[in-house]
Formats: sequence, C-alpha cells, structure tokens
Amino acid sequence: MSRISRRTFFEGTGAGLVASSVPLRGQPAPPAARTVPQTAIKLTVNGRVHRITVEDRWTLVEVLRDYLGLTGSKIGCDRGECGACTVLVDGKNVYSCSQLAVWADGRTVETVEGLAQNGKLDPLQQAFIRCDGPQCGFCTSGQLMSARALLNRNPHPNAEEVRAGMTGNICRCGNYNHYVESVLAAAGMRSAQPRTKA
Amino acid sequence: MTSLQTVGHPTSRIDAEKRVTGAATYTGDLRLTGMLYARVLRSPHPHARIRHIDLARAQALPGVKAILTRENCDVIWASGDMRNKRYLFNNPVRFAGDAVAAVAAIDRHTAEQATRLIEVDFETLPFVLDPEDALQPGAPEIQPGGNLSPTARGARGPETYRRGDIDQGLGAADRVFEDHYTSPHINNAQLEPRVAIAQWEADRLTVFTPTQGISNCHTEIARDLELPPEKVRVICQFMGGGFGNKNQDHDFELMAALLAKSAGAPVKLEFTRKEDFLSVHGRWPTKQYYKVGVRNDGTLTAIQLRGYSGMGPYRKGTGGIAGIDIYQCPNVERMVYPTYTNKAVAANLRGPDYPQGVFGIESLMDDIAYALKMDPVEFRLKNMTRKFQDQLPYTSNGLENCIRRGAEAFEWKKRWHAPNEGSGPLKRGAGMAMGSFASALGRSSAVIELDSNGIYHLHVGVTDIGTAAKTTMALIAAEELGVPLEKIDVIWGDTARCPYSVGESGSRTTTHTGWAVIEAAKDLKRQIVEKGLPKANAILTAAANTNPSLNGVARFSFVAHFAEVEVDTELGHVRVTKYVAAHDSGRVVNPLTAESQVKGGVTMGIGMALHEELLYDRASGLALNTGYYGARIMTHRDTPEVEVVWVQTEDPYGPYGAKTLGEPTIIPSPAAVANAIYNAIGKRVKDLPITRDKILGVLA
Ligand code: FES
Ligand code: FES
Repeated sequence: MSRISRRTFFEGTGAGLVASSVPLRGQPAPPAARTVPQTAIKLTVNGRVHRITVEDRWTLVEVLRDYLGLTGSKIGCDRGECGACTVLVDGKNVYSCSQLAVWADGRTVETVEGLAQNGKLDPLQQAFIRCDGPQCGFCTSGQLMSARALLNRNPHPNAEEVRAGMTGNICRCGNYNHYVESVLAAAGMRSAQPRTKA
Repeated sequence: MTSLQTVGHPTSRIDAEKRVTGAATYTGDLRLTGMLYARVLRSPHPHARIRHIDLARAQALPGVKAILTRENCDVIWASGDMRNKRYLFNNPVRFAGDAVAAVAAIDRHTAEQATRLIEVDFETLPFVLDPEDALQPGAPEIQPGGNLSPTARGARGPETYRRGDIDQGLGAADRVFEDHYTSPHINNAQLEPRVAIAQWEADRLTVFTPTQGISNCHTEIARDLELPPEKVRVICQFMGGGFGNKNQDHDFELMAALLAKSAGAPVKLEFTRKEDFLSVHGRWPTKQYYKVGVRNDGTLTAIQLRGYSGMGPYRKGTGGIAGIDIYQCPNVERMVYPTYTNKAVAANLRGPDYPQGVFGIESLMDDIAYALKMDPVEFRLKNMTRKFQDQLPYTSNGLENCIRRGAEAFEWKKRWHAPNEGSGPLKRGAGMAMGSFASALGRSSAVIELDSNGIYHLHVGVTDIGTAAKTTMALIAAEELGVPLEKIDVIWGDTARCPYSVGESGSRTTTHTGWAVIEAAKDLKRQIVEKGLPKANAILTAAANTNPSLNGVARFSFVAHFAEVEVDTELGHVRVTKYVAAHDSGRVVNPLTAESQVKGGVTMGIGMALHEELLYDRASGLALNTGYYGARIMTHRDTPEVEVVWVQTEDPYGPYGAKTLGEPTIIPSPAAVANAIYNAIGKRVKDLPITRDKILGVLA
C-alpha cells in the first residue's frame, strides 16, 4: 500500500491517488464466492412477506435495517443492553440485535414502521408527540415497541407497571418521565399535560 | 414578564412525527451505492510501543479494500489534543482503546474479521492510571515533557485562580473545615454509537456524521485533511445525542474520509458500543482537596481547592473543577492539575467542569451547615453568590428565588430533619444543592427566505441533538415575524445549505443562534415594508450575522435542586423518592421541551450520584465495564418523577431574555442526592458514585 501522508494525500487529491493507493494483495472475491454459510428464510414484516437468503451470522436487526431498508429500529449497543432495537416477534417485544435472522424464519415481525395504520398514528405515537417523549429520538422506536407490547397484554397499566414493562429500554437523554406519561396518556390513564410551574 | 404570542407556550417539536414513526434519518440509516464498511483495530494495552504491524493476512481476506495504519497515514487529528500532536494512529499507543488500524471492506463482518487478522507486535510499557500517581517522580512519562498537562500558554503548572488572600482568610476564620472528594470517569453514553459516512466526488468530500456542530466539524475536517473548506460538506440530519462529545471533528470522520479516498468508494465507519465507551471520551475523573474557613455565624472567609483531573493521555478538555463560584467569599484559591494518565480520554460531558466540582464543594458546605447547626437552605441563602466572583454584577440572578421556590415546592421544612433520624432499616433524608452556568452570548448567523406562497425558509446551522433546537429556532422566528409556526420551514444540519452556527455545545444555540434569527427576521420585515411581499418566483432573502457581547456584567443561569432519598441501611440501596428542580434560565422559550431537558439532566445526575463509573483493573490497566449494563446507566425503574419549577427572571440580554438551560440541569444533581443520603443516615460518602458497598462501608 502506498503511504497516505497529509502531504501526499493533499497533493494526490484526485484520481491518481485513488488508483495508487487501492492495490491490496489479490483481487477481492465477490461476496457470493465467499464461504459464509447462508440460509433462505421467510419473514413477515409489518404484514408483508419477504423471502430472503441471509448469512447465518446476520442478526435480525441487520436484516431489517440493511436489507429491508427498515431503519426505524436502531442499534444502540448491539449486545442486548439498551433496547433501541426492540421489535415484536410474534407479538412479543425482543431485542432484534440479539436474535439471529435465521431464528425468525417463518415468524411475524412488527417494527415501528408498522405502528401507524392507514396513515393514522397509533395512540402511543400521538401521545409521544404530545408529551414530548423523544429528545434525540434514538431510543424512541424501541420505547414505542415495548410500550405497544405492554399495552397489548395490559391495556390499562399504572405508572409502576409501565416502568417495569419498559425498563429494558434505556434513554440516555433521560426522558423516562415523559415516556411513562405518554404511555399512561395513550392508555387513557392520565391526561397529557405538562406539569410545569411557572 | 410580558407574555408573547408564540414563544413561552408548550409546543410539540416540529419534527416530532418523524421521531415517532422511524422516518427520522440518522447517519447510520444511510446507505450509499457501492458503500464499504469500516472497523477499527484498537490497542489491548494501556501503554505500548508498536514494533511491527503485519497486514498480510488481513489484506489477503477477500473483500478487504483498504487499510490504514500509522505506517501509511500520519494525519494529525488536531481536535483530539489541544496540547500535543495526536495522530489518527499513534505509536506508542497510550491507552487501551487507542486506534492501531482501520479497515474498509465490502461488509461489516468482513471488515471486523480483517481487524482480527492484523498482527501487531507490541512492546508493553509501564502505565499509570491515577492522576496523583502520574505526577510522582519516576511515573511513566505519557507525553514528552511530563504528565502535568501544560496550560494554554505552555506553562507547566496548575490551572490557577485567586482572589483576596487565602492565608489571611483562613486565619480570620473561627473554624476551618478540610476534606476531600473524588469523582470517576463517566461515559457520555449517548444512545447512537459513532458512525460516519464519507464520500468523494472528484476532489469534493461529503461527510455524513452525527455532530453537535456542523460548522466546527466542517472547518476542522478541512484543516486536518488540508483541504480547502469549500471542498468539504458536512451533513447531520438527525443525531442520537452527544452531551458534549461531538463538538469538533472526530477521528472516525477523518478515518472514513481517508479510507474512502484510498478505496475509491464511499465508506461507512462504525464504532461498537465498547469502542464508544473506551475511545471517544467521558467526564474526567477528579480528586478534590478543600479547605474552607468560616465564622461562627456562618460567614465564609476562605475557600481553597487543590484538585487533580485525569485527562487520559490526550488533552481534549479543560479538566476544570468548578462550583466554588456559587458562593460569595473574599478569599479564594483554586489550583487544578490536569494530568495525563493511561486511562480513556476525558473531555466534555454535560456541564463539563461543574457537576463533580459542585458535588465536592456542596458536600463540604452541607457538612459546615450541620456543624454550625444551620439549616442547609439558610446557609446557602446567606452565602450564595450575589456578584460573579464577588466582582461583576449579574445581568439577572434568580438563584435566591430558585432556592426559596424550590424549597417550598419540595416542602423542605417538612422533609428535612436532623441527620439519621428515625428508626428501622429504611431511612429517609432530604438534601439540596445549587449551581450556576455561564449563559454566554456570541457569534452566530441565520438566513430567512420568504417565497410567494408565504413560507419562511429559515436556514440555521443547528443540528438538534435532542434539545429541540430546530423547534426553538422556528418559535423564535414565528414570534418575531408574527406568523403562525406552520409557516416556518427550518433548514438545518447541512453546511452546503446553512450559514455558520455555534453548534450545540455550551448550551449556546438558543442564545447565540436565536439572536441571529431575530435579527434576520427584523431585516426581512423591513424588506417586506419596502418591497412588498414576493410574487410568483420572487424570493425575499434576509440574513444576519450577530455577535453580541457583554461589558462589565456576567450572565449566568442559576439552579437549585432538592432531593429526597430512601436508604435501605441493610442492603445499602438508595431510592430517590422525590425531586424538585428549580431553574432560572430567564424566559423559557418552549416549556414542554425545556421540561424534557431538566428531567433528562436530573436523571443523568442521579446516575452520576449513585451508579456510574468506568472501572479499571489496576493490574492490567483495562476498563472493566464498557457498556450500558456494566456502567449501570439509569433505567425507567431508577428514575423518580421530577418536578420542574421555573424562575423566569427578566434578563435584558438573549432572545426574549432567554438564558442557557441544557447543561445547568445536571449540575447540582449529584450533590443534592449525596446531601440527602447524609441527611438520611448521618454519614458522608465522599467518593462518587455512592454505591451500596460504600453505604454499607460508612454504616459499618
Ligand atoms: S441494540 Fe439491541 S439491545 Fe441495544
Ligand atoms: S431520546 Fe435520546 S436516548 Fe432516549
């Protein structure tokens, strides 16, 4: 490989440098020629059936994001600690970073993109907007999916049950108060009014 | 305070729907055609010289497109160290996590596999983790010239501030209190891991990156790659938090650009969560030694601090230990030693210099109040700052009201009691602490274009890291223009489309860029009067570059926090049962999103008080808990309901009198919780975080 010093980098800006700095030993083989085990699977995602061939090492969230273009589910840690990747598999909230895609073969997956129905936002989404749930928004899809799973099994939770049901979803912006308030509001358990004293 | 049309009313974010439907596009969500993926190989040693790097096996792996190491790349990342030359790849490596190589390949698994095939021959060197140890004679030298990081002027001495005469002040005291406190390295831990995408079109570079400031990032990438600024474009549409660790350009952006150049294809470089904890930066750990002189009536005569901050091996932050300034006192001396260590790099995290310093000084002041048999609230009302550093008048000062109204909302008189009162294993206690944070004014700009459909296109160089900056800018524009919020279309986060903005650091967007928005709106209104509304394809354009300054006055936000805790004296467990946060941030532009800021800052502060610490193994020099679980980041179940009290002082500066908000929210929080724990159990834990083992330790 050629050197990329700041000097040569700047001087060589343009096609010349690209050509001279690429050569790595041997020609890279196209992906298909590699020997990574692959499996054909069938996934139903937000009501749509997908038949795809996945590498066995791909996680479910990788397939959703990189191959189906459903980037609403986020990767915050990729190791089952933060909940940003939460989706529903057969109705149950799971960390999709901690599931191999092949395990989801034949299953039904719901992601944040499937929450709104016919252009109408889910009551949870509406409440998240009203109560200012998302700050940076990176944890939000996961919070929504955990909340959806919670309300599916317990339509009228109290605040403690909401916290317990969503405790696997980290929010570093720390907006837990507003997330809890949103879920309670969506469940009709509390009105969504900011409690500011001015 | 006069009420306004649009500003000051709780308003949902203008982009809220995108944030709840998955439609908001973050950097990692982007995919360019032919895009490669990149991963970084890092040092497993806290300090080592690289003898040799063998790339043969990695290069032979099918799908590998480009590899950078110190052998073929000597680019300096100037923002990575304010004092020394920090290369993208350093030899010697100076902390476990220092970058050794970066690989681009056809997919992320191949890139990752390739990093494992790189063979590095390290010669390990002695290392040092503690800042005081690092200053001892004979300590391993981490940077040339010694481990005390020089001042900006190059002097090898502590960062020093003095007023009055400290010896005289201590001599004049009836009692002198002396104590020491420590605080650990804490990771910013924003939820979005680092990722950058670089793309070259001929000699033009576009970098998609989650940055807090596109303008800084843009000029600094151009500087570090020696490119003309007009050849570089930085784009950040949505980004998942930062809390201070993305104010400048970053190594991952430079690496992505160089790999993309080398491979002749766009490159997405991703950090893992572990790399994020190790290799970006966190809050600097501190050791603080205080002496405070006080008269029997509670009047302060002297405050002295000697402090040590562990900066890791590169100087990326101030290392400051602040907080003394919330007290009036004629004699003050502060000496802080920012020191190189072989731990992870430390720099800005929300309220950079303050929460750890306020923890120290507010723990000691609390002890003094108890020793003098004074109510901690009364003690603070007596001694709180009235002029900045006893000299400059404040433009507005709501601290007293924060204390009084916060205490009232908290029911201080009811909840606070003599230390260690009550029987049984569960003990309750109440504590409070106060803080301040500079609410600077400064340079920024804005452009507004009005089209014939009556839409006002507001161009601002903000990125909106979660603070609702876009919405705040739109509210200010709508107010000044006297039009409904829906008529404002905000264009943000792209250096090709937006003018300079200060960036979301130092909690400056509302005050800096908000001013520029007001001025641009005023200009536009003048033009409308002169030229009439635009017709057909015509567009009216107004622009403003503003740079207001202060003369002979200090402008600060103020805050007082009140916490009640329940301590399980058998298990050492602490639960925060009530929390009131009273804030003087001048006029609050959007009470809804401002509440989110306060609650978020408090939550982070409680985590700092009770949980968070990057632990190191002394024998190996390796970090032990690099992740959310290990770092025990606050969860839903740890978080109490936080009540917010606004003390909206009239401030003659800033847009509609707004002062800074985002960072003050965390500042007194660790101290308030620590003081509540003391009130509950009658014992003081002086080392953050206040974990179960420490509680059981002081109770034993
Ligand atoms: S990304 Fe799956 S739990 Fe964090
Ligand atoms: S909104 Fe930023 S992490 Fe939750």
